Amino acid sequence: MHSERTLTLAWLVLLGLTLIGSAAGNASSPGLWVTVAVAAMMAFKGHVVIDHFLELGGAHPAIRRLVRFYATALPVMLILTDLFGPQIARLTTL
Amino acid sequence: MSTATATFSSPPAPVLGRIPGNKAIWVGIYCELTEFALMFIVYFLARAHHPDAFRNGPQQLSTLAGVTNTVIMLTSSYFVARSVMAMRRNARSTCLKWLTAALVVGLGYPVVKFFEVQWNVANGLSGNGEVFQMTYYYLTFNHLVHVCWGLLGLLYVMVRTWVGAYDAKDHAGLEAFASYWHATDLIWLMIFPLFYVLP
Repeated sequence: MHSERTLTLAWLVLLGLTLIGSAAGNASSPGLWVTVAVAAMMAFKGHVVIDHFLELGGAHPAIRRLVRFYATALPVMLILTDLFGPQIARLTTL
Repeated sequence: MSTATATFSSPPAPVLGRIPGNKAIWVGIYCELTEFALMFIVYFLARAHHPDAFRNGPQQLSTLAGVTNTVIMLTSSYFVARSVMAMRRNARSTCLKWLTAALVVGLGYPVVKFFEVQWNVANGLSGNGEVFQMTYYYLTFNHLVHVCWGLLGLLYVMVRTWVGAYDAKDHAGLEAFASYWHATDLIWLMIFPLFYVLP
């Protein structure tokens, strides 16, 4: 269970990161480090929602682990797609 | 209080292993996460095959619409979390106020989406088969459908709260809805940077 103050702080952090992230992303040129930064922010924001909104810290492991895996795997897949795009494309060409 | 009532009306205790809401909603959330996982795989494969289309994609979209809908999802989710906190204190009237605020803010999502699509069509993003546009419409429209289900669920828990169906000891239904709404918020937080931010 979280206090109202902690929850409000989490919400403000999420709003701040959304505004800063979108402004920074739109001002950036494509590159691996930009992808890594965007992926890190995705993962961080996802885990803030999981811990403070969904309150999965004390939840059943089957729920907690799967949702945390989800918010970690997607950003990792994004980085892998940028790193190994041509290979992935070759492997998935019919 | 009967044994059965006591079993189902236990307050959410802060212990390891509890299921937020109920098992049924988590079956639904697992289905939702799986459905979107498949769509994200489509996104990553499309991005691997057409990197230029995806690098130029975000410039074609309205960043303002994407940011506004992210703020809406986060704020509505926050209000729902506050409503659950209020119900834990047995403050039913306060809970209903938070839920009403969540609904008012949440209704902004389909409204912004409507104007975003108008803007898209006016700017040539009509879903004409171009890979970035198709992936964008495929994922974001599906998310819109989930938001609309959530808004209906929100109306339902508002009515249940209003008629006094929940209290501090028994509000699993409210918590189940909150879990669904937060999961839908989580998915949007994954979609948003992929289409609106990442160059």
